[in-house]
Amino acid sequence: MKDHGIGRIIVITLFLAFMLIPFLATVLFSISGRWDRTIFPEGLTLEWWNKVTSRSAFETTLTNSFIVSLATMLALAILVTPTAYWAHIRVPRGKPFIEFLTVIPFGIPGVVLALSLIRFYSTVPLPLINTPTILVAACMVIALPFMYRPVANALDAIDIHMLTEAAQSLGAGWRQTLWRVIIPNIMPGIISGCLLVFSTVFAEFTLANLLVGTRFKTFPIYLVEFTRFDGRQASALAVISFVIAWLTSLLIIGIAGRSGKPAEALGAR
Amino acid sequence: MASQVRSRNAMVEWWAWLGLVPFFLFGIAFEIIPVLTLVRSSLTSQGTFTLQNFERALTPIFIESFRNSLQLSATTALLGVVFGTIVAYAIITTPSPIVRNALTALADVTTNFGGAPLAFAFIVVLGSTGVVTLILKAIGIQLYPNTFRIYSIQGLTLAYLYFQLPLMILLIIPSLLGLRREWREAAINLGASPWQYWVRVALPILLPSLLGGFLLLFANAFGAYATAWTLTGPDVNLVTIQIAALVRGEVQLDPALADALAILSLLIMTLCVAGYQWLGGHAPKAAR
Repeated sequence: MKDHGIGRIIVITLFLAFMLIPFLATVLFSISGRWDRTIFPEGLTLEWWNKVTSRSAFETTLTNSFIVSLATMLALAILVTPTAYWAHIRVPRGKPFIEFLTVIPFGIPGVVLALSLIRFYSTVPLPLINTPTILVAACMVIALPFMYRPVANALDAIDIHMLTEAAQSLGAGWRQTLWRVIIPNIMPGIISGCLLVFSTVFAEFTLANLLVGTRFKTFPIYLVEFTRFDGRQASALAVISFVIAWLTSLLIIGIAGRSGKPAEALGAR
Repeated sequence: MASQVRSRNAMVEWWAWLGLVPFFLFGIAFEIIPVLTLVRSSLTSQGTFTLQNFERALTPIFIESFRNSLQLSATTALLGVVFGTIVAYAIITTPSPIVRNALTALADVTTNFGGAPLAFAFIVVLGSTGVVTLILKAIGIQLYPNTFRIYSIQGLTLAYLYFQLPLMILLIIPSLLGLRREWREAAINLGASPWQYWVRVALPILLPSLLGGFLLLFANAFGAYATAWTLTGPDVNLVTIQIAALVRGEVQLDPALADALAILSLLIMTLCVAGYQWLGGHAPKAAR
């Protein structure tokens, strides 16, 4: 049993090293002076952070990413919550169809989703192509399971039939029941769904790059541009992305215990 | 009133389905129709049904892209399954609950992470003047230019493992927790060595979860684009890189060809996800 313990410590140490070194090295890289010939950086500096954050494109792309993420999050919350509740309480036979639509995104690579949207929406007379609107719609598709699962799980965890009957016997209509009774009871599910959607969409590069590109630059696009010409400033942007993604995940864990089922973890690759 | 609600539930009036219409409309408009458009255009040429587009997609460069993508996905899925299971076992056998929860949280946090910042972090660590590259150089191991390059398919393998490993850990922990201690004790009492217990008892029980994990990890890697694009640009020929180039119009080709490529990768992904779902239905439920 003893050597077992040593083996375990080695495995966990290697795991920690693999998961943490990329992040820590990027943080250090973003605040270090010259660092290409010695093991340790030759001095520390905030130069790269100052440079990169003082550009106007920094603010614009960060704002754009927040707009897209928040819009996707709100639109999905509004679309999914009533639908999930209605299907649970009134149309259980509709659930398989809903679940089918929420599994599809796992099977569509981002590049294929972008291609299919461009193909179809360039043939219909709707002003969607190349607009942030189509980006939000595409992000809604890939983030749909992240919103639906936590909400559906939360609905399964409470007795919605009893709550609905109680609310209605006290004279509440459907809208009041949803707003005043059901939503407060499934709030943790809605919030963790929202956070998952937010962090996924915020990091989304593929769809943004292919659907809107330079017309509506998001933060990940800005980051990739910098990796091509200034690694130091790119590292500061990468640290910001790491921190936003990790903070949201930690928030979700804090609220829900776990950030949803692992199958929902397929995100912005 | 209560019985009224219940009886209404038993018999769903047709109009109750109307409540689901907005959701279905969204799904049809942004999932079903666009994908069907792709399927149709990949299968037609000048208005008639044909498999020509797929035949034409079998040029050496596209065949190579599929070979690379399949190889990268299979390698990272396999390594992810093996190491993920080992790390997951190490995590669940850790005595301290605080350490256990912290490690699970780390897997949770990192598996939601990928794409451009991850690729860039690996350049910082293992690029030609990367942090670890410099340390290895100091102890006499020269990675560049011959032994290893991060801007290659090996580099991508390593970077993909960063999100594959935690995903497998999260997938397999419930199944590992489902292995009852009694089963191990029974096997040992009957004279089995720990090795025999693992090979003859534990692994067969875990097999559906391991296979399911492999399929999900495979799909996860196959559909990935941002990480590869940031790390290697057009240097490593992958299916997603090819499709993206066609979408951006960097390569002059007829649209139907891009559609054929897209449908082929869609098929591979769908098979993986369907297989995962199917195996998921057959996984041991002991974890509950």
